[in-house]
Amino acid sequence: MTTAQYGVITVEPFGDSAVMVTIPHTDQAIRRAGIVAFRDRFLAHRPHGVLDVVSGLESLLIEFDPLQTALPHVEYAARLVAQWAPSPQDDGAGARAVRTFAIPVVFDDEHGPDLASVAGELGMASSEVVEAIAGSTFTICLLGAAMAPMMDGLKVPRPVRRRAEPRTDVVPGSIMIAGTNAIIQPFPGPTGWRVVGRTPHTIVDISRPDPVSFAAGDIVRFVPVAPDEAGAVDGRFLLPVEEPA
Amino acid sequence: MTTVALDITSTGWVTTFQDLGRRDTEQRGVPTGGAADQHSAAVANLLVGNPRGATLIENLGGELALVPDADVLLAVTGAPAEVTVGGGPVDGWTPLVVPAGEEIRVRADMSRGTRTYLAVNGMLTAPTLLGSAAPDARMGFGQLLAPGARVLVETEFRGFGRRVFEPPLFRLAVPVPRFEEDPWVVDVVASHSIHTIPGIRELIEDSVYVVTPRSNHVGLRLAGPVMHPDSDAEIVSHGVPIGALQIPHADELIVLGRYRSLTAGYPIVGVASRAALPLLGQAGPGRELRFRWTGRETSLRRFARREAQVHALGHAAAEAFGALGFTAPLSHAI
Repeated sequence: MTTAQYGVITVEPFGDSAVMVTIPHTDQAIRRAGIVAFRDRFLAHRPHGVLDVVSGLESLLIEFDPLQTALPHVEYAARLVAQWAPSPQDDGAGARAVRTFAIPVVFDDEHGPDLASVAGELGMASSEVVEAIAGSTFTICLLGAAMAPMMDGLKVPRPVRRRAEPRTDVVPGSIMIAGTNAIIQPFPGPTGWRVVGRTPHTIVDISRPDPVSFAAGDIVRFVPVAPDEAGAVDGRFLLPVEEPA
Repeated sequence: MTTVALDITSTGWVTTFQDLGRRDTEQRGVPTGGAADQHSAAVANLLVGNPRGATLIENLGGELALVPDADVLLAVTGAPAEVTVGGGPVDGWTPLVVPAGEEIRVRADMSRGTRTYLAVNGMLTAPTLLGSAAPDARMGFGQLLAPGARVLVETEFRGFGRRVFEPPLFRLAVPVPRFEEDPWVVDVVASHSIHTIPGIRELIEDSVYVVTPRSNHVGLRLAGPVMHPDSDAEIVSHGVPIGALQIPHADELIVLGRYRSLTAGYPIVGVASRAALPLLGQAGPGRELRFRWTGRETSLRRFARREAQVHALGHAAAEAFGALGFTAPLSHAI
């Protein structure tokens, strides 16, 4: 994997104690990969006074304590990190090894009520949409609301539209797509994404000290399974594929 | 240390464990959350000698009441409220002793603010998620308290043994916010997408907005005039600061709260000043708000002034409690 070239960043103040970092590049893929690389570097070289960061698909919100630091310092640090800091991978230390997940999913009209309409929109058969999803290798680009893994890498002829009318209550474990992204719904809730299937695994377990087993940068594949195979999983917590020693 | 039980005898519409929120979790999709009115929560803790981020009880609407099984030192802050101990009126925003077996009742004046905070000297025993007792309803972490619940607190308070005619033990300079008549004025720092809607700056400045009942911890939804951008340029999912003023497709204005998540597709014209956030956390349905554009520097000066007062209170309280012989968890971490 090559390091995205993103040396130049845009830093916009956002309110009185945050800035928004974006990468001004015409290629969406570079904007998205670049901001992930930037976030990793920024967190590895976190300047004093930075409280937290919020990852967007193509942006990073940096929140700071205005009594411990100031806008120009944060902006300067961000530019410095973008230009000079080695990525955590290059450092060798502190980097978390990439994990791989093979997530079983039931793809049918019951568990994926938007599957048929997505197929219609793309001019494909439902089975071809399932093949396309199963044939895609996803990278987790960020953890969305309630630690939902948001992924990029869906290989379809054109981006999938969101629903015109959002669904009000989607079942946990639902696999949802929009654009070239996929996300898994960890808890019941509303969404405008298209629901195409469901995994029987528990994605987020708040009784665990670390409620999730995945992080940004991890690799995900969806493996179609029959409903009875899914039933055997019985809501077990999602774990990565064991790496050979 | 002794363990004291607080028997909850009445709760408001929403009564939960609370603190100042999670740290370092937003990068993993979990909003910081925490007390909607951070100032009141921090001051309540300092008044009883706790670190400002200690777990306490937040009450929204209705009446909160509890009975301790031993003398406890507590403080009530937040919206103006009628507070009684054993039926007799007592003050908010000051340390109070509630004797064993006596009931403390807290009823906020909902026409003046929505949330009250009750802190008790010591450490409340409460479940935590990612290091914080703050609820996160979206993750199924409700932290709700109901009548009949028994909350345990580890405290070293053993009473002051003072007589009623003696002067007050504490004369602390407490930064009590003003809960003024409508409309409340909220300072807002403009953000860059304000330029995508010509005229919105003047419109917002000249209008009064009313908090609607569809508001919650994710955001205040305001009725009032808005304008929409002409272009339909795509805005991809991105993070937003607490207090962001968002214009959704409908004709309303949303002020995002501490439980906001990523947002997509809607322009954000400004962000409420940090100093204004505690006030917004007290705004309930029917509340009239006016927005005043302000520069970043002015906004931060107000925040710094408020923080200096809280800091001074922390020091004064630590000295007072230190003189009375308290040690941990009284602290230094203020």
